[in-house]
Amino acid sequence: MSNPIGLIAAKERRALLENQRGLAWLLAFSATLSAFALLLVSNTELSLLDNAQVVYLMVGTVTAAGAVIAVILGSDAFAGERERGTLVPLLTAPITPAQLLTGKAAGLLAAWGVMYVLALPYLWAVGAGGQNLLQAVVYLALFGTPVVLGFGYMAMTLSAWTGGVMTSLVGSLIALLFSIGPLFLDPSLRDSAVGRALDMVNPFAGAINTYDAVIVDSETFSPQLPRLALVVIWLGLMLLAARHAARKPCFR
Amino acid sequence: MLINVENLKLSLNGVSILQDVQLHVAPNQIYGLIGPNGAGKSTTIAVVLGLYAADSGKLELFGKATEKTSADVRRRIGVMPEHAGFYDWMSACDYLAWHANLYGGPRRAIPELLAQVGLEQAGRCPIGRFSQGMRQRLALARALAHGPELLILDEPTNGLDPRGRREIHDLFLSLAREQGVGILLCTHLLDDVDRLCSRIGIIHHGCTVLEGPLAELLGRHGAGGVYRLRLDNVPDAGAMPKEMEMEDRGNGWWCVRLPTDTNPADLWQRLLEHGWRIREIRAEGGGLEDLYIRMTHAAVESRQEGTV
Repeated sequence: MSNPIGLIAAKERRALLENQRGLAWLLAFSATLSAFALLLVSNTELSLLDNAQVVYLMVGTVTAAGAVIAVILGSDAFAGERERGTLVPLLTAPITPAQLLTGKAAGLLAAWGVMYVLALPYLWAVGAGGQNLLQAVVYLALFGTPVVLGFGYMAMTLSAWTGGVMTSLVGSLIALLFSIGPLFLDPSLRDSAVGRALDMVNPFAGAINTYDAVIVDSETFSPQLPRLALVVIWLGLMLLAARHAARKPCFR
Repeated sequence: MLINVENLKLSLNGVSILQDVQLHVAPNQIYGLIGPNGAGKSTTIAVVLGLYAADSGKLELFGKATEKTSADVRRRIGVMPEHAGFYDWMSACDYLAWHANLYGGPRRAIPELLAQVGLEQAGRCPIGRFSQGMRQRLALARALAHGPELLILDEPTNGLDPRGRREIHDLFLSLAREQGVGILLCTHLLDDVDRLCSRIGIIHHGCTVLEGPLAELLGRHGAGGVYRLRLDNVPDAGAMPKEMEMEDRGNGWWCVRLPTDTNPADLWQRLLEHGWRIREIRAEGGGLEDLYIRMTHAAVESRQEGTV
């Protein structure tokens, strides 16, 4: 195989699955889901939630965890290579910045794919026999993937610009917190004009609100189109920023 | 000409880094790019590799002007950066195969490559277990893996023991002489340059202060060797050979400079035959080291004069 994108993606995948650090992340993800699933079914108050709400919470948790992993991997994409001393050999190899970025993104997608597959048995465990489990699985792929990849691209942008893993990681995590934070506002605040305006530009809210609509309220696909457009635009913008940053990454 | 750089200028964030750099590397040639820390050696390499875009000046690679180093040009270049980093969880064999595949096209057999750099026993070990010297060797193998015509090496012998250094020197000489590879060697180890390079460039504060064939430069700038002789007798001043220039004397020691075209061994023999009782001879730099010190010092002085 000599396709540079495939080679870089394969390296990223191997780093995740053969490297102790990568395996530790996946183990931590599984432990988080296990703990959350156990809480949902055993806690006296949470166990009163209906089946669809439990699935909705689980899908939101998987998306948030995916975004965190994407931010971690994205922060490492250029700055980690620079700090390890492996960026210059990549930049001087006959591959374009777009190929390098796409290979990195493919590795990130592979990580998200593994997380998605790991989440399926948990979703089945908390949602089996209830309504809309299939919708949860489908919409997690449809909305979760662009949100997670978008945060990954955002972290890659900071990683390429700053050249420091910690700097890009902290910056990306702050942006992710700003995105997740409004979801914890009181429902009356979220229904206010400001809350609605925030939801219209917040990709994470776009995904979570869609999960709520299709899993809990059993809405159809059509009303979700504006929110799908939001997460796709988010992904597109982050891709453009990452492609721009990857042309001249900080390498020294 | 593999690399032809003329009047290269580069500014980064408004700060002038390279002001006037010349560089000419031909096939079969080992070119030594030397200069103090921060002089602009690694930045020059970065411009040649297309990592920075020069503000002005001429940059030709393999005889073609290039503003942006293309993939085809990169396939013909092997690079060994100053900081040799790897994916420590990979084995040396896996890593070299992966890296060579990035270049596409034919690649060299990995076992042969590892043997060439003296790592034949370590191919299956995770790179994380490698010593500093082994990592340097692996970095060199990485640069050679796709069979480049031009090698750009930044401090390639850092961290190598004397024997390892000698082996790598022999490898460079063999690559240049037998395989026609051109080598740009960026270093501050003048011993390496003295032993390997036929052409040098001295860079200081972003300017090339001297460039040309090493022997010619040493001859032209009178930078012969400097030796310290311990003598049991004190010869007449008039008995001193004309090619020997006195630098300093005292406590039974004479410090003398020899021109580059003088063979020191022949001269010592002649002196002994003329009754000089030489008890000890020590080489005291001179040669390239002396030339380097003088050129970089002259550059500092001219800058200071320019600012007064």
